[in-house]
Parts: sequence; structure tokens; C-alpha cells
Amino acid sequence: MAEALTFNAADLVLREGAAPFRQVFTPGEIVGLAGLDGHGQDRFLRVMAGLDQAPGRVSLEMSGKSHPIAGFRDAERQRIVYVPRDRRSTGIFPDLSILDNFAIATPEADRRFGLISRKARLARYMHWKERLKIVAPSPDAPITALSGGNQQKVLLARALARNPRVLLLNDPTRGVDVATRHVLYDLFRELAAEGMALVILSSEIEEVLLLCNRLIVFRDHQVSAELSGEAMQSEAVIAAMFGRAA
Amino acid sequence: MSGSMTPALALSLRRYGFGLAILVVLLIANVVMNPARFHPAAWGTLLGMAAPLIGAALASAPVIMAGRGGIDISVGPAMGLVNAVVILLFVHGGIASPWLLWPVALLLGAGIGAINGFLATVVRIQPIVATLGTYLILTGLTLTILPAPLGPAPGWLRSLSGVWSFAPLGVIALCWWGLSRTPFLGQLMAVGSDDRAAYTAGVNVTGVRFLAYVIGGLLVGAAAMMLTALIGSADPKVGTNYTMIAIAAVALGGVSLAGGRGGLIGAAIGAIDIFLLQSLLTAFNVSTYVLQVAYGAVLVLAVVLMALQDRPTKRSHA
Repeated sequence: MAEALTFNAADLVLREGAAPFRQVFTPGEIVGLAGLDGHGQDRFLRVMAGLDQAPGRVSLEMSGKSHPIAGFRDAERQRIVYVPRDRRSTGIFPDLSILDNFAIATPEADRRFGLISRKARLARYMHWKERLKIVAPSPDAPITALSGGNQQKVLLARALARNPRVLLLNDPTRGVDVATRHVLYDLFRELAAEGMALVILSSEIEEVLLLCNRLIVFRDHQVSAELSGEAMQSEAVIAAMFGRAA
Repeated sequence: MSGSMTPALALSLRRYGFGLAILVVLLIANVVMNPARFHPAAWGTLLGMAAPLIGAALASAPVIMAGRGGIDISVGPAMGLVNAVVILLFVHGGIASPWLLWPVALLLGAGIGAINGFLATVVRIQPIVATLGTYLILTGLTLTILPAPLGPAPGWLRSLSGVWSFAPLGVIALCWWGLSRTPFLGQLMAVGSDDRAAYTAGVNVTGVRFLAYVIGGLLVGAAAMMLTALIGSADPKVGTNYTMIAIAAVALGGVSLAGGRGGLIGAAIGAIDIFLLQSLLTAFNVSTYVLQVAYGAVLVLAVVLMALQDRPTKRSHA
């Protein structure tokens, strides 16, 4: 198991007038975020990633020390890695090759005697290609030659190459085919078992019910329900999304 | 993937193909129309004549590749200032050593690049406005310190024209290759391609863009030395001409003005295209006014053709 750590949000207010709330994420668990579009779950994930600001405190507690996450650079330093939702506008670089798209976040890992070694980069890529079952022609092909699901896998490989402690996924299976989804689900479970904390925003209820240990439902920029175990039923989730008592 | 070609090769052919095709056509036309001037034995001299333009195009490229409207229109006047300072140091300051003049030229260029970069990336003035400011400042500054042409240039520098101009160009190529083996070049292309995605991937977008201006400035210093070698003197008015023609060369060489596409090879090809076009039209005794019309026409044609070529790929990932 990895280091004992918790990733915390305290007194977080997502919108003026919304009720503050706290959340604690721990290694080994997969937490789902659900809610109707635009009810705060997206903003919550971005605040946790340091990409957005909100009143409250986000911090990573590790071996007795607290590391505040006030911005994206802090998150980066603490290896809290965010995978954006809209891969076309904020994920892939359409002009770059598959290999470069993979390595862009971690170029230092390929340095041998100061210079980038293509061999080292290829070896790293092949590792993730196998683990994520990326179906791709030559690594030098443009990333746009891949299907949506495989582009998403390359983006995940890019994020995982940073060896995250916490992985924040914004609707990772959007526009991804069913077969690929199941590859990703298995991967997420493996990563959790290896000691990563995963937070997954999903627009599909079935997905979070299938995948997550715990579910946070947002409504009006506040936490409307927290479900786990037996209580995780789609009726309860839908009721919480629409603000009705289950 | 077309046949046995590697995708990388196919990609660079797609990108540079148009500039290369023009290059071949113009080269043949020049050799046929003007056999004396384009005799293979004279190619060294020709390279020397093209060198300042190639240098200016190379200097313009990194900033353009960094995207988000990145452009440095002060390249020409900056070359003019470096040219003036180097000759003033030699003629009035008595400094002749290449070990002093080269660092002065490169540092001066890099300093100007750093100022442009600071204005464009830290203060966040639109690059075209920021570098228009430095364009005017540098033009005036050059005329102030050097109101009239002055010569000569040191002997070693003059001998750097002609065949020997491949030396600075070769060093630039080597340095750029070295740079391609560091994270910088990949990050530059990523920032130019999509700066939001680059930021989310953890790239220091501002830092990369700033560095692009500084590297462009270093190349300005080198281009100014090649210019000084060619004209063998200092001329306060010669530099400004290079700005627009260098940007035309960059566009012709397949470097997207939107950023993220192309490279220094393309910029060099574009510069050689312009030089060959110039030679060809001069051989016909065409007036310099018509010359400008020709540059403009070829540039517009090239950009339109490249846009048409890019259209199917855009659609495939839309």
C-alpha cells in the first residue's frame, strides 16, 4: 500500500450562499461524483485539482504534515492529477504524435545524460500501451488517427505516467465504446487496489454505481446526498439529483 | 500511412512539400534562365547572399510556433541594431576579436528577445503590439547611434560570407537539433498547438513562450552577423526590410501562423524560396515594385493551398 494520506476539502463553498461541506478521500477508494449537469460537481473537481478557486481549504495530509492545495502548481507538486472532460479542447494535441501526446507531461523521465532518449520514451509508452490496451498504429502516427476511446487511453497514460497519488477524472468514459469502458473500469479498480485515491465524475449513474465505493450527489452546488454500500441504488441517486427525499 | 514511408517522414513531406516543390521549380528556372549566376561553383556565394534572410526567417519562427498570436515583427530592426553596434564597436571601439563580437551580437539579440518576451508573456501585451513598439524603438535607436552607413567590417567577419556562411547556419542547425532532444521543443509545439491543454498537462506555458522569444533573439543576433558579413559594413536602414519578408518566408515554409506546426527547416526552405524568386525576377530585370507583388502573390497562394491541404485532416478529428 502507498503512504498513509488523506485528500481533504474543508468548509468548501462552491457558490455564494451554498452550504459549506467537507470531504475526505483516502487511498484505495473510488469515489463517484454525480448530479445534473452544472450543479457543482464539475466545479468541485476543478477546485480539488487547483484549477478553480472557491472559499474553503483543500489540502493533502500526509505523514502528519498538511500540504495546502491553493493552485494548480500545488496540485502538480503533490501529484494530484486531473484528467479533463473535453479531450478535444483541453486534452489532446491534434498536431502531435501519439508518443509526444503521451510524454508531454513527463519529459524529464526520458532524459539520459541530459538529452531526451527516444528509446526510453518508447519503452515508457509501451508499458502503458500494454497496460491500457491501447490499440494504435505506430507511436509516431498523429493522435487524431486513433478512435475516441484510444485517445482517452493515451490521455490516461499521460496522467498515470505522473505517478499520481490522487487521480481526478472528469467524465472519463464520455464518448468511449463499451468494450473500452470495461478495460477502463478494470484499470481504475487495479489502481485503487494499488493504493491510489480516485475521484470520478460521471454523467452516467450506472457507471458510478458499478464502479464506486462511495457516491457524492450534488444539487445546487451543495452536497445533496452521500451514498455508500446498500444505499447506492439508482432511485436514491436520481432522487438526490432532483432534490427529493428518497 | 503511405506505403513504406514512416509516418514522421510522410508528415514532414506534407508540411514542407509545398515549399520544397517551389524550391525545386525555382531552382531549375534559375539555373536555366541564369546559368552563369547559378553555376554550381557559385552556389557558395548564393548561400551567403541568402544567409541573412534565412537567419531572419529562423529568428521569426520559434515565437510564431509558440502560438496564440505570437509574432515578433521587431526581428528586422533588431538585426539592424546588432549590425550597427558590432560595426561601431569595431570601427570606433577597436574591438575586432570574434570572441567578443559574437557574444555581444548574440547577447544583444537575446536581450531584445527577452524584452519582447517579457512584454508579450508576462505583461501580456498582444505580441504584435508589443513588438511593434520595439520595432519603432529599435529603428529609431539604430538611426540615433548610427545616422549614416559605416564600414568596414572585420576581415574574419567578411570572410564569413559566401561558402563559409554555412558555418553559422550549421551551428544553428546543430543547436536546434540539440534543443529537440530536450523537453523544450515538445513543450513549444504543445503550447502552440493548444495552450489550455498544455497547461493542464503541467507545461509552464508562460515560461515556454518567454524562452521562444529569447531563442528567437539569439537567432536575430546570428542573422545580424550574417547580414554584417554580407554587406561588410553597417547600414542603419537595411535591417527593417527583413521583418515582413521573414514572416512571408516562415508562412511559405509551412509554419502555421496559428502556432504548433512546422519547424526551422520549413522556415529555411521558405526563405530560400523567396531568395530564388527574387533572383529569378531580377534576372528578368523586373522592377522591385513588381517584386513585392510577386512575393505577396506567392505567399497568398501558398497559404491558401496549405489551408486546402489541411482541411481533410481537420474534418477527421472534428
